[in-house]
Amino acid sequence: MPKITVDGRELEVAAGRTLLQALDDAGLLMNGVDVPHYCWHPKLSIDGSCRLCQVEIEGQPKLQIACNTIVADGMVVHTTTPRVQTAREGVMELLLVNHPLDCPICDQAGECKLQDYAFEYGVTESRTREPRRALKKRVDLGPTIVFDQERCILCRRCVRFCREIPGSGELTVQNRGDRSVIETFPGEALDNPYSMNVADICPVGALTTKDFRFKIRVWFLEDVPGICTGCARGCNIHLGVANNKVYRYVPRRNDAVNETWICDAGRMSYQRIGAPDRLEQPLVRGALPVLEVASGEAAIAAAAAKLSQTLARHGAGSIAGLASPHATNEDLFQLRRVLGGLGAGLAGVAVVRGESDAILVHAEKAANAAGARALGYPDAAPLVEAIRAGRVKGLIALGHDVLDAAQLDAAAAFAGLEALVVLDSHRSELERAAHVLLPARVAAEKRGTLVNCDGRVQRVVPAVEPAFDARDEGEWLQQLGARLGLAGFSDAAGYDARAVSRELAKSVAAFVGCDYDAVGLAGKPLADAAPAQAGVPAPGARA
Amino acid sequence: MGLKVPFVTSYLSEHFADDSTVGIEGYERRGGYAAARKALTQMTPEAVIELVKSSGLQGRGGAGFLAGLKWSFMPKGSDKPKYLVCNADESEPGSFKDRILLERGPHQMLEGILIAAWATGAEKTFVYVRGEYAFPADVLERAVGEARAKGYLGPKVMGTAFSHEIVVARGAGAYICGEETGLLESLEGKKGQPRKKPPFPAQYGAFGQPTTVNNVETFSHVPHIVKNGAEWFRGFGTEKSPGTTIFGVSGQVRKPGLYELPLGTPLEEIVMRHAGGPLPGRAVKGVIPGGMSMPILPASQLDTRMANEFLRERKSMLGTGGIMVMDDTTCMVRVACVITYFFRDESCGQCTQCREGTGWLHKIVSRIERGAGQQADLDVLLDVAAKMEGSTICAFADAAAWPVQGLLRHFRSDFEAHLREQKCPFPESFEL
Repeated sequence: MPKITVDGRELEVAAGRTLLQALDDAGLLMNGVDVPHYCWHPKLSIDGSCRLCQVEIEGQPKLQIACNTIVADGMVVHTTTPRVQTAREGVMELLLVNHPLDCPICDQAGECKLQDYAFEYGVTESRTREPRRALKKRVDLGPTIVFDQERCILCRRCVRFCREIPGSGELTVQNRGDRSVIETFPGEALDNPYSMNVADICPVGALTTKDFRFKIRVWFLEDVPGICTGCARGCNIHLGVANNKVYRYVPRRNDAVNETWICDAGRMSYQRIGAPDRLEQPLVRGALPVLEVASGEAAIAAAAAKLSQTLARHGAGSIAGLASPHATNEDLFQLRRVLGGLGAGLAGVAVVRGESDAILVHAEKAANAAGARALGYPDAAPLVEAIRAGRVKGLIALGHDVLDAAQLDAAAAFAGLEALVVLDSHRSELERAAHVLLPARVAAEKRGTLVNCDGRVQRVVPAVEPAFDARDEGEWLQQLGARLGLAGFSDAAGYDARAVSRELAKSVAAFVGCDYDAVGLAGKPLADAAPAQAGVPAPGARA
Repeated sequence: MGLKVPFVTSYLSEHFADDSTVGIEGYERRGGYAAARKALTQMTPEAVIELVKSSGLQGRGGAGFLAGLKWSFMPKGSDKPKYLVCNADESEPGSFKDRILLERGPHQMLEGILIAAWATGAEKTFVYVRGEYAFPADVLERAVGEARAKGYLGPKVMGTAFSHEIVVARGAGAYICGEETGLLESLEGKKGQPRKKPPFPAQYGAFGQPTTVNNVETFSHVPHIVKNGAEWFRGFGTEKSPGTTIFGVSGQVRKPGLYELPLGTPLEEIVMRHAGGPLPGRAVKGVIPGGMSMPILPASQLDTRMANEFLRERKSMLGTGGIMVMDDTTCMVRVACVITYFFRDESCGQCTQCREGTGWLHKIVSRIERGAGQQADLDVLLDVAAKMEGSTICAFADAAAWPVQGLLRHFRSDFEAHLREQKCPFPESFEL
């Protein structure tokens, strides 16, 4: 492996990598070694056009662009010399010659690389007296993206992204010189399942998503690391949070999962957090055949009573459990413990399937189907059959995916149940048969771990607090277990998902070493899972 | 029909006045294709490369890179197809030598290509002809047909085991397609934008295959070197810049035309003697020595010898040998307007410095010409030019920066007169 020296720091780097790649591999790029760049992106082909990443290499008369310089053994690189600084100032000044001064109304302000680098590497005074180029400020590129031609610095990341990642290639550069503008090909719209990533990779405020633009100033947002729950890929994201509200999802880089991308459907799935069909109150079917609002206490008491009666009447094995592929491993571990205490017979998990692609989108439309299976929940089909046949008398159901997955008519299929306790984040047809409904939290509201389609254990943290009494399924189950008097359950100490996670890692072989704290922000493969693989093909060689 | 413009001839253009040598029969009657036959049947490819290297032939497309050395970069023993590209885009304003070489000596160039193909192991040559050169392209296509009919192209060239094909491709009209990698992109049907280097064309060229790109004139010298030897070639020109070149003289002179002269010929001899000097009652003010992108020289430097080693001392370069003469009526700020407009218009727009810098330079000089300039503008011009220079994917930004630097170096007083009078003080100059 070649050894190079960057600003006096010796590095051993992989052969054949460029300087920027080598710094990125070492985790040093803009994090110890600052080589500012616009057109270069770690997951796109090399463009070499913005010319900002120029560095001084000993023995070479001209400055070289770090993005297209292959490392060589003994290479000595300087990134902070006066020559480099002058070159950066030159590029920054020229980039600003035509850039509009509309930061106060620009959505990118606060997370704009032009602002950041102009502040860090630019000159303080403008020398241009000439009029800036006047172009279109609101070009509707397609269903998701609006384009401001004036703000564009022509780094062409978006053009390369569309060609190299979704492969749809809608964008191109029209005209040349200082009349260059990014455009879609005539008659085409920027419309692909990954289109909104162009707003993330746009270093300036040229490309913005119709969904997020003008919603909030980004400096009010806190970036909470989390996991997209739209499908089993488990793309790593940042949840943009302010005022106890999630405003957006943006991808968080994880080369073992989603590199730097997320699909549009996943990005928009943040809307499910504050959706109007959230189950907001515990509901209990009392003497009258309608659901009535109850306190959490009363609902747990009613659920425990129903289950106890059923158990007393039909004996051990008459109660079954339905795991949710959306719930965390901790929730599902709690369900396993409750079912064990009740001497339950059957258990299963039902997963809704849908479209998939070769990039990120997985057919299983839930974030933790693999976790449920790793925890021993088999496919729910035999369970559904047993319910239909009347062999199951009581059911604790987490979520309602079974309705779509097994195409059940809830009222008919579950009519024979004497006890149906539902823990769910959103409302569903299960309400027609349920005896007790307990509002559950979604992933953005709880702490725990999820297992993605490649067997990678990843964690979520509470980004927002629900405005109503929703609890982790694990917490409801803790209270239910305690109320039922099951061994090992007590609600005295409150619920601690971290402690459950540690317990889980101790008692389930697949999860050894994979508790909430151990997996960290990057996640970790299940103990007996095949090594996780990146879901995105390597970017194309050269466009 | 003969050659209608004034010209001076040497070995390259020896037969250009004789219409019959345009066709293959006339060309062979004058000894044509003997050099190719000699190379293919009596010389190894290595020997040809060595010969061209020892001749010291510099590329005639503008950069002056040693042709033999360039050929030696082609990978050996690669199983990839190898290509040659002949750059006949001739887009540099002030240059028109390649046109005459195509129109009057197509077989001379084709013979050079055949020899280069043998030396580099190329199986195919793409000749990229400037789109506006419809007639030269027609002449060339006819010549390719003649050579094929004779068995000089196609399988088993001249009865040897060597095969070669030539494809004539017509450009779509952009200055930047004369830059070798911009040309390759355009040849592949893409937007003409230079490629980042590395990889260089010898590794990743036309259609991703190893490729050598040479100019029309460079190829045209090759048969003469093979026929007469390196020593003979070195008998022309200077020690560092051997051979002749065809200087194209244009502008305010009595006899604009084409003059094949040895490299190192003094600029004064070309302008004052061959081209007849300035128009009556006028004096030379400045001369652009090598196509519009090369820095201008003032009349006081007409003694400069036209070879890179001498021109570099005067902070200019030979470029394509397109000499543009301006007389004493010329407003050098207007010259700057024309030049900066051209480069602003033709920048491909990839690199920041070039895209934004060309526009900025043009806006500033236009404002000075309008009479709205300020003293600080001159410093900004030089500073922007310095920031554009040497820092982009291709040499276009240098080509756009150098003329401005040259004009300010030698004709700063013209600019200052505009600033002082807040109007253009040269009413007799050409109109913008």
